[in-house]
Amino acid sequence: MKDSISKEQLLLHPIGKVWNAITQAEEISTWFIKADFKAQKGYQYTFTSDGENGCTTISGEIKQADPYTLEYTWIVAETKVETTVKWSLKETEEGTILSLEHSGISNYEADTAVQMFTSFNGGWDNCISGLTEYLKETVHAG
Amino acid sequence: MQDKITKILKAIADPTRREIFHALVVAATALPITQISGQFHMSRQGVTKHIKTLEEAGLVSITSQGRERYCTADAKPLQEVNKWMKFYEQFWGDAFGNLEDYLQGTS
Repeated sequence: MKDSISKEQLLLHPIGKVWNAITQAEEISTWFIKADFKAQKGYQYTFTSDGENGCTTISGEIKQADPYTLEYTWIVAETKVETTVKWSLKETEEGTILSLEHSGISNYEADTAVQMFTSFNGGWDNCISGLTEYLKETVHAG
Repeated sequence: MQDKITKILKAIADPTRREIFHALVVAATALPITQISGQFHMSRQGVTKHIKTLEEAGLVSITSQGRERYCTADAKPLQEVNKWMKFYEQFWGDAFGNLEDYLQGTS
């Protein structure tokens, strides 16, 4: 069993635009989660979900932020467990290949998993669906 | 520390232990250590060592009956690891979807 999650996706957008979307606080706050974020090595960032339904805070430190690799630690407030999230971008003819690796998931305690699931299952869903709605509106407005 | 997922992953990292665990899951009943060691052509001590590691991870429980010790598989700890993986799998899947929508909307 692997201890990390890997995702890869081709985005039909120029690499600079994708890089900005994952490194600029304002942009992260729009599509992902409310962010106090600077793409600078050593910066202590905070992601806050501002939903009313028990959403949570994620914090950590930027380990690497050189175009086009972004790596930071990922600590969900309630767990105090450090995992690592790494984004890498690769330019292709059609656009940009976005790769994400979230590792260290085996550091979570099984107990915490159960706890977190019971308390945050609804929370995360609400955060995500709120964001999706927001994005839909922005797209329609544009 | 008993519940650390690391222990579970370590326990199933070894191919022999995986086979023993698998045999116990398939058996769906308690198996005596003597039978397991016969099935795997291993010494009783060897099997006992593996079983202990599985027991520490919560994947096997041992009960004694007379002079024989019986082992039962419990797959629940594996589901807990799986839950975490599934959670983040979906979380990042959704995030990717949102990012794509966002990029689309700003082009």
